[in-house]
Amino acid sequence: MKQALVDDTEDVSLDFGNEEELAFRKAKIRHPLATFFHLFFRVSAIVTYVCCDWFSRSFVGCFVTVLLLLSFDFWSVKNVTGRLLVGLRWWNHIDEDGKGRWIFEARKASPQHSVATEAEARIFWLGLVICPLIWTVFFFSTLFSLKLEWLALVIAGISLQAANLYGYILCKMGGERDIGKITASFLSQMVFQTASPRDFQKPGLKGLEIHKH
Amino acid sequence: MAKAAESSGEPGTTSPRPLMRDLKAVGKKFMHVLYPRKSNTLLRDWDLWGPLILCVTLALMLQRSSVDSEKDGGPQFAEVFVIVWFGAVTITLNSKLLGGNISFFQSLCVLGYCILPLTVAMLVCRLVLLAEQGPINFMVRLFVVIVMFTWSIVASTAFLADSQPPNRKALAIYPVFLFYFVISWMILTFTPQ
Repeated sequence: MKQALVDDTEDVSLDFGNEEELAFRKAKIRHPLATFFHLFFRVSAIVTYVCCDWFSRSFVGCFVTVLLLLSFDFWSVKNVTGRLLVGLRWWNHIDEDGKGRWIFEARKASPQHSVATEAEARIFWLGLVICPLIWTVFFFSTLFSLKLEWLALVIAGISLQAANLYGYILCKMGGERDIGKITASFLSQMVFQTASPRDFQKPGLKGLEIHKH
Repeated sequence: MAKAAESSGEPGTTSPRPLMRDLKAVGKKFMHVLYPRKSNTLLRDWDLWGPLILCVTLALMLQRSSVDSEKDGGPQFAEVFVIVWFGAVTITLNSKLLGGNISFFQSLCVLGYCILPLTVAMLVCRLVLLAEQGPINFMVRLFVVIVMFTWSIVASTAFLADSQPPNRKALAIYPVFLFYFVISWMILTFTPQ
């Protein structure tokens, strides 16, 4: 009898820390704040740009607001949401002798660190890809409607968003140099929701000195 | 506009508070521009947030208050923006073509941060213009702008000159001179109406 009781208690672990962790692992979106802000700044910038005529007639106010939103978006995507949502990061490192190079890293899947969830990764990449495309459309519409004073803003928007997109694509490519393979696996993930065996590796720094200043 | 290199050389760790780290880095660079000495900070940990802030501030202060709300300083605002960024990019390309060993973003960083004295000059000029107009007013503004212009040139050459081969220094520096001259001219000829 006593043995059975002991066995029973052994099966149930009353460890509340683990429960939280389990809930964390099972959640579809683990960083709701980061996910929200990832999309918030980009979408607000686009909405403000499109609707600025309705809010105020001031060119300067609209310009500065959109520029601020784009800057906040750039900073948060580069420094926070990429790291939290998909485990990627990139930066510029300058050696002692003044040479600069770009470093792209992808986080290894480990028991301590959770791998990116499907929902978060999907939101991240969709937000990252669609917004620069929208800004490119704005570029052509501004150009052809001859509202050239807005062109500076649109070009700034495209540069900032494309920089993040390019950086994260290079992170994702990691050791792979074959863009076709990456695109195929990316698309298949998006469409079929299969978790492909992710090789979260730190790309060899030698292989990825793509920009040598 | 990438951020400065990650703090501490250990790979795989990130700074726990990237926002404070970046704000401190920007502040430190402003200090280095105000008290230029031979140091590598502007070059090593470059970032473009300072230049963006300065450019926007300068463009905002160069607004004319016009009665007609249709063209409410639109072209002037975008003009300042284009002049600053396009000018900085051109200078950088020039110095790279002359064989300088400074990277594109580092050069943009230095040129942008060294606009700080001229932004201060703009602020002072706007305050001085609140007083009554006249030749004295103009002389005061001229003096302030000349001092700040010299400060900008000294600060930027302190950082940029080393990266050029010795016989090309003048060739690399004169576009910087032109760049800050144009900005000083815009500041000096500014009138509020």
